[in-house]
Amino acid sequence: MAALMLYLAYMGLQLFFIDHVNPLVFLFSPNFSPDAHHPGALVFILGSVFVTLFALCVGGPFGVGVGVFLSQIAPPKLATLMKPAIEILVGIPSVVYGWLGLTLLAPLIRHSTGSLTGFGLLTAGIVLSIMILPTVISLSEDALRAVHISMKEGSMALGATRWQTIWSVMLPAARSGLTVAVILGIARAIGEALAVQMVIGNSAVLPKGLLAPTAALTTEIVTDMGSAQEGTVLYHSLFSMAFLLLLIAMALILGVRLAVRRSS
Amino acid sequence: MTTTTEIKMCVEDLNVYYGSFHAIKDASLQVPENGVMALIGPSGCGKSTFIRALNRMHDLVPDVTVQGRVTLDGEDIYAKDVDPVTIRHRIGMVFQRPNPFPKSIFENVAYGPRIHGVRSRKRLLEIAERSLRHAALWDEVKDRLDKSALELSGGQQQRLCIARVLAVEPEVILMDEPASALDPIATSKIEDLIGDLKKDYTVVIVTHSMQQAARISDNTAFFLMGELIEIGPTRDIFFKPQDKRTEDYITGRYG
Amino acid sequence: MATANLAARRRTVNNVMTGVLWAAALSIIVLLAFFVGYILYLGAPVISWHFLTAPPSELAAGGGIGPEIFNSFYILILTLIFTTPIATAGGIYLQEYARPGIFTSAVQFCAESLATIPSIVMGLFGLLVFVTLLHWHFTALGGALTLTILNLPALMRVTQEALQTVPSTFREGSMALGATKWQTIRRVVLPSAIAPLTTGIVLIAGRIFGETAALIFTAGVSVSAGRSAYDFGLFHQAETLSVHLWYVHSEGLVPDAAQVGNGSALVLLVMVLIFNIGARLLGYALHKRLTGK
Ligand SMILES: Nc1ncnc2c1ncn2[C@@H]1O[C@H](COP(=O)(O)OP(=O)(O)OP(=O)(O)O)[C@@H](O)[C@H]1O
Ligand SMILES: [Mg+2]
Repeated sequence: MAALMLYLAYMGLQLFFIDHVNPLVFLFSPNFSPDAHHPGALVFILGSVFVTLFALCVGGPFGVGVGVFLSQIAPPKLATLMKPAIEILVGIPSVVYGWLGLTLLAPLIRHSTGSLTGFGLLTAGIVLSIMILPTVISLSEDALRAVHISMKEGSMALGATRWQTIWSVMLPAARSGLTVAVILGIARAIGEALAVQMVIGNSAVLPKGLLAPTAALTTEIVTDMGSAQEGTVLYHSLFSMAFLLLLIAMALILGVRLAVRRSS
Repeated sequence: MTTTTEIKMCVEDLNVYYGSFHAIKDASLQVPENGVMALIGPSGCGKSTFIRALNRMHDLVPDVTVQGRVTLDGEDIYAKDVDPVTIRHRIGMVFQRPNPFPKSIFENVAYGPRIHGVRSRKRLLEIAERSLRHAALWDEVKDRLDKSALELSGGQQQRLCIARVLAVEPEVILMDEPASALDPIATSKIEDLIGDLKKDYTVVIVTHSMQQAARISDNTAFFLMGELIEIGPTRDIFFKPQDKRTEDYITGRYG
Repeated sequence: MATANLAARRRTVNNVMTGVLWAAALSIIVLLAFFVGYILYLGAPVISWHFLTAPPSELAAGGGIGPEIFNSFYILILTLIFTTPIATAGGIYLQEYARPGIFTSAVQFCAESLATIPSIVMGLFGLLVFVTLLHWHFTALGGALTLTILNLPALMRVTQEALQTVPSTFREGSMALGATKWQTIRRVVLPSAIAPLTTGIVLIAGRIFGETAALIFTAGVSVSAGRSAYDFGLFHQAETLSVHLWYVHSEGLVPDAAQVGNGSALVLLVMVLIFNIGARLLGYALHKRLTGK
C-alpha cells in the first residue's frame, strides 16, 4: 500500500521535477499540449468533476430513495427479492454499461436532441448515475436499518405520517451513514474509466454544454496511455493524473472516516 | 362529591397474534376518562402487546394481526376509514427506554407541533416551555434548549419524551414501563408527574412494580399469559382480589 | 377545519412520496430487466459455436472470442489462487486474533483506501511494476497480480463479515472444551462461516471476471498471435473478454465490431448472472448441508 502510494507519487511528480512543468499549468490550464511542454489538465479535471456531480445529483437522491424504500416501506419479501437484483447491477462489468451507453443511450440522445454524436457530458453522466446506484442504495439501506426502531416508533407515536418520520427523523438520524454512502458513490463515479470513456466523446476541450463531448482524468489515461512513450511529457502527465486520482481517493476515504467518527 | 366518569376508551374481545403465536386472548376492558389505569402482570404476559394495540403501533411491524374492537370516544380506531396517523395524534405513547431524537432539546419538543403544522417559532417556544414545565423539566434545561437531547441523563430524557408527547396535546397517553430504566429518584419524579397528568389526560401505564401501580393508579388490570384475569379499582385488586391467580401474583407467588 | 385540511394535506404528501419511492424502486427492477432484455436482443443473433470458440480477427469480419473467454477464466483463476489464501488469512487474523491497536487500525485503513483506489490507477501501477520495471511486458501473470492487489481488500472484508456471522457462543463452547484458539477456528468457526464465505468469494469472482480497466495496460489488448487459442503461458499477452469488448469498440479495425461487441456483451452479462445465481445456490446448498436442514 505504502509502496503503491510512493511509487505513484514518484511517477506523478516527475512531470514537475524532471520536466519542470509548473504545477499551476497542470492544474489550471485548459490547453493540453504535452508536445509543446504545456500539459494543462483542467479540461480533464473539470470533466471528472462535472460527470461526478451529475451522477451525484441524479444517482444520489435516487439511490437514497430506493434505500429508504427498501428499509422503511418495502414488504420484507420484496426487499429480499430486490437484493440480488441490486447485486447483479453491481456485478455488470463497466464495459457492458459503456456498451449499453454506446448502443442505446447515445443514439437516443442523438435523435432526441440533435447532438451530432450523442457522446458527451450528459451521456456519461447518465451512465455513471446508473453505475453508482447499487453502491448508494445498499449503503443507505444499511445506514437506515441501523437506526434504532425506537426512533421510528417515537415519531409515529406523536402522530407523524410515515413520510414525516422518514424525512424528519430517520434521514437525519442516519446522516453519517448516508454521507458515507454518498462519498463512496462519488468514489465510484470519479474513478470509473471505461464506461465513461466509451460515451464521453474524448475530446480535450472544455465542454460548451451538457451535450458537448469532453474528457475526464480517467478517460484521458485510457485514451492516451497506450501510445505514450516512456519518459515523455505526455507519459508523465498521465501519471500525474493517476496520482491526482489517487489523492482524490484518499481524500474521500478521509471523508468517510470523518463522517463515521462524527457519529460516534 | 362523586362525578360520573366518562369512558374514554373501550376494548372489546381484543386478540393479537405474532404470526401464529396468540399473544392476547379475548381481552375486554374500559378506560375511564381522566384517570390512571395500570396494567400489571409477570414478564411476557402481553402488557406491551396490549398497550401497543391501543394506538395501532402494531401497524408498524409486519406479521402482527390485531382482531377485535378498540374505541376512542365511541369511534372504532381499527375501522377501515380511520387513519392510524390521526389516532396516534390523539393517543400518544411513551416507551420503556427513553428515545429522544438525536436533535436538540427544543427540536425534540417542537417536533410534534411542527409536524402538525405549527410554523411560528414564537408559538413553538411557547409550546415547548409549557410542555417542559408540565413535565417538570423546564428548570433543568431552560438554559440549554439548543444542546443535544442525548446529553441529558436517562431520567431527564424520559421526562423530555413525556414533554414531547404533551406538546402535541393528545387525549390519552400510553406509557410502557416509563420508569423501568431509571433510578429511584428519577422514578419518583415521573410518578409525581403522572399524578399531575391525570387532571388533563387519560393515562394508561404498564408497570412491573406493584407498589408503583398502587401509588399512582385508579384502576388496575392484571394480565397473565395473554389473558386479562381481573380488572377493577386499584384498591380492590390489591386488597380484595376476586381471582386466586391475582392474589397469588400480588402476594408474590409468581416471579 | 384547518386541522382537518392539514391532516388531509399531510396524508396526501405521505401518499405521494410513498408512490414516488415505490416507483423509484420498481424502476430499478425494470431497468435491470430492460438491460438484460436489450443485450439479449442485440447479442443473441451473434452467438454461435464458431463465435464462442474461434480466435478473434484483426482486420477481417467473422472473428470469434474463444481465446478471450479462455483468458478471462484463466486470469480469474490465477487471481483467486493468489488472493484467496492471503485474504482469508488476513481476514481471520483481523477478525479472530487482532487486538484493537495502531497496527490493526493501520491495516484496516490501508484496506479501506485500497478499496477506493480507481481500478485504472491500479492498472497504471501494474503497468509500472510488471510491464516496465520487471520487463515482463503485457502478461497474464501481471494482469492477475494487479487484480490480486485490487481485490484483496474486498475479499478480506468478505472473510471478516463471514466470520462475524458465527455466534460467539460457538467459540466459547469450543474453548470451554479445552480446544486451542486455532483448533476452534479450524473445526468450529470456519465450517460455520463457509457458506457466506463461499457466496462472497463467488460474487467477487464475478467482478474479477468483468474487470477491465486494470487489465488493459497489464494483460494487454491482444491474444498472442500464432499460438494456440488456449494458451496457458503465464508470460504471454492475455486479452480478456471484457477488454476485448472495449477494444473492438475503441481501437479495433474489424468491420463487424458492433456484432462482436454485442456478442461479447451478452456473454459477459450471462457470466455475471451465472456467478450471481451460482453464488446464492452454492451458499444455500452449503448452508443446508452444514446445518443439516
Ligand atoms: N415481535 C414479536 N414477535 C413474536 N413474539 C413476540 C413479539 N413481541 C412479543 N412477543 C411475545 O408475546 C408475548 C408477550 O410479549 P410482551 O412484550 O407483550 O410482554 P410484556 O408483558 O410486555 O413483558 P415485559 O414485562 O417483559 O415487557 C411474549 O411471550 C413474547 O415472547
Ligand atoms: Mg413489555
